[in-house]
Amino acid sequence: MAEYTLLIILFAPFAGALALIFVSNRQVSLVRGIAAGSAFVSLIASVYLFYAYDAVKGGFQFIQRIEWSRQLGISLHLGVDGIGTPLVLASAILLFAGIFVSWHIKDRMKEFYIWILILAAATIGVFMSLDLFFLYFFYEMSVIPMYLLLGMWGSHTKKYLEMTDTEGLKQRDSVGFIFNFGANSKEYAAMKLVLFLSAFAVAALMGILLIYKFSGLNTFDILILREQAHFSGPLATLIWLLIFFGFASIAPIWPLHSWSPVGHAAAPAATSMLHAGVLMKLGHFSIIRVAFEILPETTRELMPIAAVLCIFSIIYGGLVAYYAKDTKYVIGYSSSSHMGYVFLGMAALDYISLSGAVIYMFAHAMATGMLFAMAGWVYDQTHTRDIPSLGGLSNRMPFISAAFVIGCMASIGMPGTVNFIAEVMIIVGSWNKYPFQVIVAVLGIVLTMAYLFKMMRGLFYGSMAEKYSHSHDAVTVIDRLPLLIMITVSISFGIFPGHLYSVVRSGVDPLIARITKVVPVAEHPTMNIPHAASPIVPLPASREAIAKVTPR
Amino acid sequence: MTFSLTLSVSDLLLLLPELFLTAWLCAVLIVDFSFKRIVQEQLAYLSILGLVITLACLAWFDVTGITGTLFGKMFVLDRLAIFFKVIILLATILVILLSIDYVHRFSFFRGEYYFLVVMSALGMMFMTSANDLLSLFVTLEFATFGFYVLVSYLRDDMASNEAGLKFFILGVFAAGLLAYGISLVYGETGKLVFSEMSGAAPTTGLVIGFLLIFAALGFKIGAVPFHSWIPDTYHGAPTPVTAFLSIAPKVAAFAILLRLFLVALSTFKPIWALLIVAASILSMTYGNIVAIAQRNIKRLLAYSGIAQVGNVLIGLAAGTKMGTDSILFYLLTYLFANLGAFAVIMAISNAVGSDEIDDYSGLNRRSPFLAFAMLIFLLSLAGVPPLAGFIGKLYIFVAAIKEGLYILITVGLINIVVSMYYYLIVVKKMYISEPLDSSPIKTTGPLRAVIYVGLAGTLVIGIYPQPFLDWAVAATLMFSNLVGPAASIPPSVTPFGG
Repeated sequence: MAEYTLLIILFAPFAGALALIFVSNRQVSLVRGIAAGSAFVSLIASVYLFYAYDAVKGGFQFIQRIEWSRQLGISLHLGVDGIGTPLVLASAILLFAGIFVSWHIKDRMKEFYIWILILAAATIGVFMSLDLFFLYFFYEMSVIPMYLLLGMWGSHTKKYLEMTDTEGLKQRDSVGFIFNFGANSKEYAAMKLVLFLSAFAVAALMGILLIYKFSGLNTFDILILREQAHFSGPLATLIWLLIFFGFASIAPIWPLHSWSPVGHAAAPAATSMLHAGVLMKLGHFSIIRVAFEILPETTRELMPIAAVLCIFSIIYGGLVAYYAKDTKYVIGYSSSSHMGYVFLGMAALDYISLSGAVIYMFAHAMATGMLFAMAGWVYDQTHTRDIPSLGGLSNRMPFISAAFVIGCMASIGMPGTVNFIAEVMIIVGSWNKYPFQVIVAVLGIVLTMAYLFKMMRGLFYGSMAEKYSHSHDAVTVIDRLPLLIMITVSISFGIFPGHLYSVVRSGVDPLIARITKVVPVAEHPTMNIPHAASPIVPLPASREAIAKVTPR
Repeated sequence: MTFSLTLSVSDLLLLLPELFLTAWLCAVLIVDFSFKRIVQEQLAYLSILGLVITLACLAWFDVTGITGTLFGKMFVLDRLAIFFKVIILLATILVILLSIDYVHRFSFFRGEYYFLVVMSALGMMFMTSANDLLSLFVTLEFATFGFYVLVSYLRDDMASNEAGLKFFILGVFAAGLLAYGISLVYGETGKLVFSEMSGAAPTTGLVIGFLLIFAALGFKIGAVPFHSWIPDTYHGAPTPVTAFLSIAPKVAAFAILLRLFLVALSTFKPIWALLIVAASILSMTYGNIVAIAQRNIKRLLAYSGIAQVGNVLIGLAAGTKMGTDSILFYLLTYLFANLGAFAVIMAISNAVGSDEIDDYSGLNRRSPFLAFAMLIFLLSLAGVPPLAGFIGKLYIFVAAIKEGLYILITVGLINIVVSMYYYLIVVKKMYISEPLDSSPIKTTGPLRAVIYVGLAGTLVIGIYPQPFLDWAVAATLMFSNLVGPAASIPPSVTPFGG
C-alpha cells in the first residue's frame, strides 16, 4: 500500500473530478462531499508521505514507474525527494482548504470543483514527476483549468466595471487590450495568463526537446539524463536559458510577472490560493528539477542572472503592492515580490539558502493562502476589493480580522511562523555570495510590513461605511476550517521545524554538492560519468550529522 | 512494365474490400430507387453496415498480414494502405452518422447522398493503394468526383453552389497540373511505378514534374499556397460534407505523399525537404493567424485545418521512419478531434440554425455536455495535455528534432500558442459569455454517438497512446530503411561537446 502513496495523492483528485462529472449539479451536498472527500484522501496520503519520507536515506523515494511509450522513451516515473515532498504536502493542504473556502459557490458548483481538482492534481503531478515529458504534461495541464476558473467564476476589476458600457464590451475582445493596466476584465486576465504561460512553457518544451536530442539517450527520464547526459558550451547555455526563462515565467520572475497579479485579481478565492500558493512554485520547482539536476555546471555559471533579476522582483513587487488599491493586487504583487526571495535563495547555490528557498515555498503557500482566503471572504461579504472604500470591518468580522493579523505576520516572517525560519535561512545562506541582494531582501521585508499593515488598517480598522453593516464573520466550522488549518500548519512548523528541515536538507544536499563541487568535464575528459553524479562530499549519515555539516 | 490480366482468386483477395464496397454501393443505390417507401435513415444504416464489414475485412488483413501488389504494381495493399483505409472508413462511418439529421435539409436526392459519400470513400481507398503515377491520377480524380457533387448538394443555397464551383474549377486545374507533372516525370524517367523511379537523377524536368505533382497534392491537403479553395468551400458546403472534406481527402493525399516522397523521391530528399519545410511554415503561420479573425466556426476550423496540415508536414519534412509514424498517429488523433468538433457544430446548427461563433455564447448553460465535448475537441486540436492532439504534436516534434529541424519546430511551437488564442476565444464564448437565448439544446442519437466516439478517441489516445503508437509504427515498417543521422548514433555515446 505504502508504495502506491504517490499514485493515491495524484489520482484521488482526478478520480474525484471524474466522479463529479456523473453527479447532478442539484445534489449540492453530494458534490461538496465528493470534492472534499477526494481532497481529503489526497491530504491524508500526503501527510503520510511527508512523515514517512526517510530523511536520513534521502534521494528519491516512493518511486513508481509505469512504461508509457516505448517509441518516445517515456514512462510515468513518479518519485519525490526532499524538495518535492513538502511541496506535495502544501498542494494537498491548499486544495483541501480551497474546497472549503469555495463552499458557498452558487454558480455551477460542480464544474468549479471539477476544474479546481484537476488544477491541483496537475500541480501535484509536476512535483512528483521524474520524467521530463510528464513534468511538461502536468505543467501545461495545470494552465488550462486556470482559464476556466478565472473566466467563469472570477471577477472584474473596479476600474473595468467603471468603464464597462456597450462600447467597452467590444474593447474587451481586442488583442490590443493587453497593455491596459488596472482596468482588466476577467476574460482578459484569463487569456493573458494562459497565453503568457503557454508561450513560455513552449520555450521550456524546446529546451526539453533539445535535451532529448543532444543527450542521445532517447529518454525523457530525469534520473537517467542527470547521470548520463552532459552538456557544455553554447548549447548548454541555450538549453539552460530556455528552461530557466520558460519556467521562471510562472514563478514569476520580474520582467515576466505581469500576468500574475492580473490573474490573482480576477481569480476566485480558492483559485488565487492555489495559484499563488502552489502554481507559482511550479516555476522554481521545475527549474530545480530540470536545470539544476541535468545542467549543474551551467547552473553554476548562469544562476547569477536570477540573483540580479530577483532584486527587481523584490523591490518592484513590493512598491506596486504598497501603492495598489485592490486587495488582491496587493497580495498578488506581494507574492511576486516574495518569489524573489526564493530566487535569491536558489541563486546563492548554498546548502542553507536553497533549503531556505524550499522551505520558503512551503511557508509562502500557507501565508498567501490565508491572505487570499480572507481577501476572498471580504470580497464575498462586501462585493468590493477597493481598499479605500473599505474599513472598520473588524467589528463585523472579529475572527477574520484576527486571522488576517496572523496571516500578515506569517507573510512578513514573524518569529514563530515557518516563514521566519525560511527567511532567516535565505538571508544567512546568501550573505556570503550576494550581500547586496540580502540588504535588498531585508529592505523588502520592511516594505512587506508597510503594505500589509496598510492594507490591514484599510480593511479592518478605522470607520466603516454604512453599506457594509450587513457583512458577517466566518462563524461556522466549515468557514473557519481552512484558515485554521493553514494557521496551524504555519505556526506548528514554525515552532517545530525539525522534520521539515531535515527532509528539505536531504533533498538539497546532494543537489548542491553536485552543482558546486562537480569537476568540469573539460579538465577530466576520461572521467567516469556515473561517478560524477554521486556527490563528491560524502553525505552525512544521520540527522545529527546533517546539523553539524557546515556549509562550504 | 507488363500487365498480367490473368488474375487468380488469391490476387483478387487483395482487392476484396474495394470489390465488396463497390457491390454494396450499387446495392444501396438499387435499394434506394426500388423501394419507394424506404426511409433515408435505413439507407444510412445500410451504408454503415457495408462500411463496417469492409472495416472488419481490413482488420482481418491487418491481423493475418495479407499484403501484395496487383495489376503490375499499380495497386498495392500493404499495412500502410490498411492503416489509411481504416482511418478513411472510420471517418466515413462517422460522417454518415453526422449526416442522418442533416439530410432532411436536402430537397432532392436524399438517397443518392449516401451513395456519393460511400463512393468518395471508395475512391479514397483506392487512392491509398495507388502505387504508380497512372493509378495516382485515376484514383485521385475518382475520389474527388463525388466531392464535386457533395459540396454543392444544397441546390438552392448560393453559398453551396459557389463552394461547389470554386472547388470544381480549382480541382480541375489541380488535375491538369497533376497530369502535366506526370507526363514530365514519365518523360524523364520512363517509369511509372514509384519504387522503380527511386534511382532517378534529379534533372530539371523531373524536379519541375514533381513540383507540379506536389502542387496538385498540396491542393488536396490544403497546404499554403494551394489553400485558397478551402475557406469558402468549407463555409458553403453542407456541414457533414465539410467534416468529410476536412479529414478524409487529406488522409488519402498524405498516403500518396508518403509513397511519392519517401519511396519515389527518397534519393533527392535534400531538394524536396526544403519545399516541405516552406509549405509547412507557411501553412501553420497563415492558417493560425487568419483563423484569429474568423467569426464563423466552419471557417475557423477551415483555417485551423490548414494549420494542422502544416503540422503534419513537419513529420514529412523529417522524412524518417519516425516522421511517418508521427504523421499516421497525428492523422488518427486529428480524425477524432475534428469529427467530434463537427458533430458539436452540427448539433448547435440544428438548434440555432447558424454557424456563427457568437451563437456559442453561454453554451455551457444551454448544454453542458456539448460545451464540454467542444472544449475537449478544441483543446485537443490546440495540443493541450492530456488529450490526443498533444501526444500527436509532441511525437511530430520529437521526430523532427531528431533530424535537427530547429527552425521548423520553433515555428511549430510558437504556432501552438497562437492557435490557443482562437480556440480559447470559442471556449470563452461557450463557458464565460452569458447565453442570448437560454433554451436548452437537444442532441439526437447519431450526433451523440459521434461525439462519444470522438471523446473516447481523444481521451483514450491522449492518456494511453501505446497501442495506437504501436499500430502506427507497424504500419510504416516499409520505411524502416529511412535512417536519419540521429538514429545512427548508438545510444551509449553520452558526452556531448557543443
